[in-house]
Amino acid sequence: MTISCDHLDSLLPDLFSGDLHPEDEKAAAEHLATCNHCRVTVSDLEHVGDLGRRHGKLELPLEAKVRIRSLLGDA
Amino acid sequence: MNRRAPSPVASSMTGPTTMEQNRSRTITALFDELSDGVYTLAVRLLGDRHLAEDIVQETFLTAFHKLSSYRAEGPIAAWIYRIGYRKSIEAHRRRRDVPEDPAVIARSEARLAASAEQEAIRSELVASLDRAIDGLTEPLRAVFVLRDIEGLSTSEAATALSVSESAVKMRLLRARKELRTSLKEYL
Repeated sequence: MTISCDHLDSLLPDLFSGDLHPEDEKAAAEHLATCNHCRVTVSDLEHVGDLGRRHGKLELPLEAKVRIRSLLGDA
Repeated sequence: MNRRAPSPVASSMTGPTTMEQNRSRTITALFDELSDGVYTLAVRLLGDRHLAEDIVQETFLTAFHKLSSYRAEGPIAAWIYRIGYRKSIEAHRRRRDVPEDPAVIARSEARLAASAEQEAIRSELVASLDRAIDGLTEPLRAVFVLRDIEGLSTSEAATALSVSESAVKMRLLRARKELRTSLKEYL
């Protein structure tokens, strides 16, 4: 018998940080193999992280970069 | 700033490099590596790109002056982010506590208009992501920026925000769950 959906949910903080114990990792994999609801949830939550990585970065404007770099060089 | 190559005369000088020069080089290298990340964190926390530029400047000048007191309690990137985070939070509190004068409000309105114009030319997805991130509470936003956008490890983000690793993990999950709801149509 695999773990419950609630149990899987409690493992998510460690799962997304890559810190799951091997036993829990195995239990999570078994649950996800049989539970479409949790599979979609985990996939969506991973996708949210990807969106942040791909589209969330901002660049300090070049003018500010040059000005601050110059200040640091003179500091 | 473009650094000039050392002149042959300077190169031939064998005097010891001063600590100040070393410190300046170290901070400049850190600035090259981390200035966009600190800027991203400050913009995401304050919602004001001009103020965020000031935060970046203050962060690296503070780092320059405090570098000798850095004791390698963690990765130096986390130390820099911690300075930037604290300065952003201080700026946020100052802005909240002090009533702004009309000139400042007028400038803010002009910035908002400029932001709206910028937003119109960006993709709908990016604009939606920005709005969704803005909708997170500050603790969740800070973790999402450091972990997912800037790619810090759990341990580095915990150091930068002065919270436990467990808090970082829980906040990251809550941030992603809230963003999942806001960004449903893009998933």
